[in-house]
Amino acid sequence: MGRLSGKAALVVGAAGVENMGQAIARRFADEGARVAVAGRNMDVLETLAADIGGVALPCDFSDRASIFAMVEGARTALGGLDVAVNATGWGLLKPFLETTDEDFDRMYALQLRGPFQFLQALIPAMATGGSVIQISSATATIMFHDHDAYMATKAGTDHMIRSVANQFGDRGIRFNSVSPGVTETPMTADAAAVPGLMDAFRKGYPLGRHGTREDVAAACVWLASDESFMTGENMQVNGGLSLRGNPSKAEIEAAVAAAVATS
Amino acid sequence: MARLDGKVAVILGASDSRSMGAATARRFAAEGAQLVLAARRADAVAAVAAELGAIAIACDITDEPQLAALAKAAVDSYGRLDIAVNYAGIGGSGAILETSADLFRQQAEVHFVGTGLFIKHMALAMTPAANGTGGGSIITASSLTVLVQAPDHGAYAGSKGGADVLVKVAANELGERGIRVNSIAPGFTKSAMTDAYFAMPAVTNAFLKEMPLGRFPTVEDIANTALWLASDEAFVTGQRIDVTAGQALRRTPRPEEFV
Repeated sequence: MGRLSGKAALVVGAAGVENMGQAIARRFADEGARVAVAGRNMDVLETLAADIGGVALPCDFSDRASIFAMVEGARTALGGLDVAVNATGWGLLKPFLETTDEDFDRMYALQLRGPFQFLQALIPAMATGGSVIQISSATATIMFHDHDAYMATKAGTDHMIRSVANQFGDRGIRFNSVSPGVTETPMTADAAAVPGLMDAFRKGYPLGRHGTREDVAAACVWLASDESFMTGENMQVNGGLSLRGNPSKAEIEAAVAAAVATS
Repeated sequence: MARLDGKVAVILGASDSRSMGAATARRFAAEGAQLVLAARRADAVAAVAAELGAIAIACDITDEPQLAALAKAAVDSYGRLDIAVNYAGIGGSGAILETSADLFRQQAEVHFVGTGLFIKHMALAMTPAANGTGGGSIITASSLTVLVQAPDHGAYAGSKGGADVLVKVAANELGERGIRVNSIAPGFTKSAMTDAYFAMPAVTNAFLKEMPLGRFPTVEDIANTALWLASDEAFVTGQRIDVTAGQALRRTPRPEEFV
């Protein structure tokens, strides 16, 4: 018997091949949940859904109507909704002084307004209680260069999670966020392809390795299951990176230069 | 396959069958762990140990040689140590203006010095990680009083807060051995230690108002949290996991509200 047997779960942000949302959806299905996966690329979602016996739903997370339609679609298709995960994100790296209003507005729509609308849709839809999990980031508390719009919206969403946890706990819904550090996913693939770059991060991890999608998925299983009585919290799932911090821009540049020189 | 198959765990502070320690012991045993249970008096853990086929041993957290002996007992009996959980604690209250040096020292001795030495000796007994084996998970009890102000709990909260800082320092230092170190902050939990409070509806009603989830944490909730942190699945270290029914978002009621 799986740890999520009998539960209906929605994972949005699962339309990138082998992204974090996909790993979470696969693990949820392995644990016995009925799973709906959502995002912008239906071809990818349908392949995943077929793999895990789930349901694929379209969603543009910067559009209110699309978010509400997704939540209603999941609730109808799964016959209820017990668990919801937001794994969408936009890993923009751009110097602060060059970040445009358009960049910021797009980030805000996806990473702060989107979660706000998602929560507004979810709370009435989770009629018998449940668990809502927001994928945040270590950078919501620790520093990283050229990542301002991303970091600010992640931090804002974490606090919104606390606020709804306080107000809607009496409905039996728990709300938490999970903060990975740098994780090898399609979002970081460009960075991982640069020689030396991921190595520059490693010394920030007391446990000696950076995190994986599976680490994040395991934390989501725990938060989604009835074993968790946590609410209104942020869990740092990053092997202690939050104790040490990310490398500086200069350290990364030096590590990359050294790797290039020896290759 | 059970979640703690092949693991050896020490649990300190399991001296009542309704304690967090006993609940954790039952949960860990159900997931396949082999256990060493400890409390200040060995006979206090004998019943729970007998129920679970565990080893019972006396250990006072304020006595360093006894902590070393506790870790050694696990290694001698089962060949290794993977998980160590510390629930040893002692109540003590008083306003700062009335707190004696003795109370400050007693609280610090158990919660701060004791936790530090517990981490030290359990980590020394764990095999450093190499080639995918070894390492471990150390878990210690923090407190709601670290998160929201509780009237007249200065010595207690201060000693628990100090222990949380030790957890972060130890996590940073012990990561290279593959040892994770975390704490759990239980909310106002129904257990043997809180029976006196739960006998007073005025108190429980006032607390319940400050819990968004509308029920008290149970010792089983704490045990489930310990299981998550103990298992290899948790890529979490240097953290405090709050299990307070959401009370960490609100406040602790004041005595004058107990009506």
